[in-house]
Amino acid sequence: MEVFAQQIVNGLSIGSIYAVFAIGCTLIFGVLNIINLAQGAFLMIGACVGLEAARFGLPLPVTLLVAAFGGGLLGVLSEQFMFRPLRKAGGHRWMGLVASLALARLLVGVAQEIFGTEVQAYPRSSMSAIIWQIGGVRIQALQLFIIAAAVVLMLLFAFILQRTSLGRAIRTVAFSEDVARIVGVRVESATLVTFFIAGALAGAAGLLLGVLFNVVSPFMGDSALVKGLTVMILGGLGNIPGAVAGGFLLGLLEVFSVAYVSSAFRDAIGFGLIFLILLVKPTGLFSGFEERRA
Amino acid sequence: MIGLFEEFLSSYGNVVDLCLLNILLAYGVWLALSGNMFTLGTGGFMALGAYSSVFFTTQTGMPFSFAVLIGGLLAGGAALIIGLPVLRLRGDYFMLATFAFTEVVRVIALNWESVTGGAIGIVGIPRYTETWQLALLAIAAVYFAYALRHSHFGRSIAAIRQDDVMSQTMGINVLAHRLTLFGASAFVCGIAGAMAAHLNFFIGPTDFGLLRSVDALSYPILGGFNALLGPLVGAIFTTLLPEFLRFSNQWREILMGLLVILVVLYLPGGAMSLLQSDRLARIFRRRLIERHSIEQRAES
Repeated sequence: MEVFAQQIVNGLSIGSIYAVFAIGCTLIFGVLNIINLAQGAFLMIGACVGLEAARFGLPLPVTLLVAAFGGGLLGVLSEQFMFRPLRKAGGHRWMGLVASLALARLLVGVAQEIFGTEVQAYPRSSMSAIIWQIGGVRIQALQLFIIAAAVVLMLLFAFILQRTSLGRAIRTVAFSEDVARIVGVRVESATLVTFFIAGALAGAAGLLLGVLFNVVSPFMGDSALVKGLTVMILGGLGNIPGAVAGGFLLGLLEVFSVAYVSSAFRDAIGFGLIFLILLVKPTGLFSGFEERRA
Repeated sequence: MIGLFEEFLSSYGNVVDLCLLNILLAYGVWLALSGNMFTLGTGGFMALGAYSSVFFTTQTGMPFSFAVLIGGLLAGGAALIIGLPVLRLRGDYFMLATFAFTEVVRVIALNWESVTGGAIGIVGIPRYTETWQLALLAIAAVYFAYALRHSHFGRSIAAIRQDDVMSQTMGINVLAHRLTLFGASAFVCGIAGAMAAHLNFFIGPTDFGLLRSVDALSYPILGGFNALLGPLVGAIFTTLLPEFLRFSNQWREILMGLLVILVVLYLPGGAMSLLQSDRLARIFRRRLIERHSIEQRAES
């Protein structure tokens, strides 16, 4: 029972990070119908920028904002200078995938040049030292901070998307770009904001991931991208509530398979699952209660 | 003259081998692309070919050529098995399913230590792959692509690429055509994997991941998948370029990334579209846009 409760805590803290990251990936798909394979690199840059900010002595919540801003800026730049010209040129959608991967490669190179190629650790924050012992369950203050930060980010995101005119504009573009133009939505700025939000979520997720495992490296984006894609499929492409549920599900699933089966099968279970889901229910596990995109 | 050639080979042999191998891979991926299948399964199929052929040559002492053939057949067989359910999926879902396949293969390779050597991989594989074999395979691949484009089958494929619903109503068995192409693509990738394994002395699970699949995809797309020699040009270009940028590892990655983005942005039809006359290029582009809109209509 204690092991079970402990795994729940661990699973929720990693799952919340997956959820934040996957929301960004799935948002871009929902709005623009493209899969941005550079999201993993945005996450990595977010972690690196956040690390620099932490070394500068900034407190954790501020570094989170810095990381989010860094990721968001990259998102905007990629849309402005890559994805938009590509759409204008009327290229095949394969071109977008190839270009986004090339961008990821470029960013990994840049990160290596600036931040070095070694794995780095975060400066010890006071939060990782505080550990509560409830029954037999160890809960780090850090884990609580991560879960709380992730929930706040998701609520903020939900608020922007559902309650503001900006969110309405984004949802209209997601519904149909032509319709959005007809009703006077400025599609260009709406897509830029979409990319900013998605990039910011990736950057924030990168910082949280770096803090949780205390590891930052230029190559952390690849495995994160794999997780993000997995969650996207679990929840259904473009399905935001599905991405949240899928993120927590993947986090819990990974932790439990390590605890009760074998660490060797942690990844195999995730991929086996998405393979199965794609074959049986390609719209995702949670398409029942949310069919609408974005 | 021959002496000069040998001197060239001895100093640049590795690069030449790599080029030929990637050309083979490029045509393997091109087969899938020509049926509108954006496959990320390349890494998985290569891994199947590589690990099985190494198993047969080192554990059972099977002749190299048989082992390579079996590696290719295994990869092709796997493609036929997973292809049946996966090919029902469209567009991005197909891509993600093949990506999941590659990852599953990687995880198996990571954990099945008695055969694959786990995370460490297999070291000290005898080097059986010769340059002439690779050259022969590459030429065969180009010829096969040429023959395919001019066959009845190839024309059916072209029709499917334009509009699969229409093709089906015209009496083309779309699923069978796609499955054949997918299997053939995996077969070629499996052979390429087997050749690569016996070229490098070493294979490990990280050799055949997402990155490998994506690199393989970028060859025909950058070269231009509508031109016969597009995959060849793309493969040579993307293999040679890093060799010229050897001065810094990081800058190589940065420049490669930048260059690929520029090619995609300014030559959306691939590098081979440079060679076509202006008029042809315009028609070609219009057709691409039309196809794009047809696809969008089909998806919505």
